Amino acid sequence: MTTRTKILGAILSVALLGLGVLAGALLARPSVPSEDSADVGFARDMSEHHAQAVEMGMIAYQNAVTPAVRTLGGDIALTQQGQFGMMQAWLRDWGYGPTGEGKPMAWMKDGESYLDGNRMPGMATREEINQLRSAKGKDLDILFLQLMLRHHVGGRHMIDGALAEASDPEVLRLAEQMKQTQGTEVAVIEGMLKDLGAKPL
Amino acid sequence: MSTGDVRRPKVNEISTKAVAADGDKPDATGPKSSKAGASKSTSSAKSGGSAKSGASRPGGKPGGGKGTPGRASGGKGRKPVTPVKVNQGVNWGPIAMYGTAGLLALLIVGFGAFVLIREASKGTWQERAAAIPGIQNFLTSNPDWFQYGTEGNHKNGVLEYKTAPPVGGVHNPVWQNCNGDVYTSPIAKEQATHSMEHGAVWVTYRPDLPQAEIDALKSKVEGRTYTLMSPYPGLDKPISLQAWGYQLKVDNASDERIDEFISALRQNATVEENATCGNGITDATEKPLDLQPDNATG
Repeated sequence: MTTRTKILGAILSVALLGLGVLAGALLARPSVPSEDSADVGFARDMSEHHAQAVEMGMIAYQNAVTPAVRTLGGDIALTQQGQFGMMQAWLRDWGYGPTGEGKPMAWMKDGESYLDGNRMPGMATREEINQLRSAKGKDLDILFLQLMLRHHVGGRHMIDGALAEASDPEVLRLAEQMKQTQGTEVAVIEGMLKDLGAKPL
Repeated sequence: MSTGDVRRPKVNEISTKAVAADGDKPDATGPKSSKAGASKSTSSAKSGGSAKSGASRPGGKPGGGKGTPGRASGGKGRKPVTPVKVNQGVNWGPIAMYGTAGLLALLIVGFGAFVLIREASKGTWQERAAAIPGIQNFLTSNPDWFQYGTEGNHKNGVLEYKTAPPVGGVHNPVWQNCNGDVYTSPIAKEQATHSMEHGAVWVTYRPDLPQAEIDALKSKVEGRTYTLMSPYPGLDKPISLQAWGYQLKVDNASDERIDEFISALRQNATVEENATCGNGITDATEKPLDLQPDNATG
């Protein structure tokens, strides 16, 4: 072996050793989506979107007069609060905060075009929420169904965005589940509105 | 090491020596290809030769290197193409290969290290909050404010706080709604403190703040969960931001620290993760409404 070969061998060994250490460091931890990924953006934004559905669902659960509307309100509030917890747990596992910097929807292609101020698609204004809170009787039932229908339809854009751009299998699984259950609920709500003699917003 | 590896450095030696051999007898072997063959066998012999090459070389004839009798026996076998290539000053092949491999490995290591360091440098929300100039962290300076006595954390009626506006401590059993609620008249600080316990950032401003400034603040709150905003009479600065344990007072709504404060602390500064900001009180009353008995709710 010449000196040159020995030197080359030594360099290569050190480089390979470093490569091994790095590979170990990267492989030892589970794969984590980057902070600007659709996975992280969806988990954060859908959490906020869900928080409003929980708020509206609880108002209906407490104040609606139609038993089916009260049941639906409680169902949506509990389900979405549960999903909220799942999404928050992902963010914590991945090492990211519950909320991001800057505007919502930036993770999604053309996402910002859906925004109205800070409001994500389908979200009610504070005035509408307060209107729901102070509504009484059948008026409350109808307003809840109308606001929740719009909320679900708007949220569908975000769900589709996640299904198109996210990569984490758990994110994709939950997004698919939301698409199914909220799709069913949209049909249920439309039927209830019809029964109450009202139309969507 | 394999036999091939052993041979390779020898070839290098050979080619160097071959030049010298050629110089000694320039016309002895004629065409270039023969030279290489000749020099090879010569140097093999010089370097002591292995038992193997010695045995395979009939009579030590030139051109018999590597056990191929081809040339000597009159073009019986293949052309010695390989020896020609070997005849160079420096054999760049392995150098280029090892060099490229090493460089590639170093690049990967460097990139990986960069990613790991960048991730680590983002810091926790506490670190990001601590980096905001002028922020006050009462969790570290006055931890006793956040300890509850035997009476629990919920108390009705008007409560006294050490700071104005408060940053935590015992509070009203019901929270002020904090899903991006913008209140245009003062709210009960006892209820807003409960909102902060749930992770809300409470934006307050002196009632004489110009409307354009109020609108700028409003755009940071409206439509965002875990935030609420209200005027606060008697505030010592134009704007004050609060989260559980933290406070930042600024002079105008365009101050960049406002976004930094909200970004670092919203939903992070809480003692009750995932507690809701919905279903709170939406009435704006300066005195608490006392809708529930003491210690009735979470």
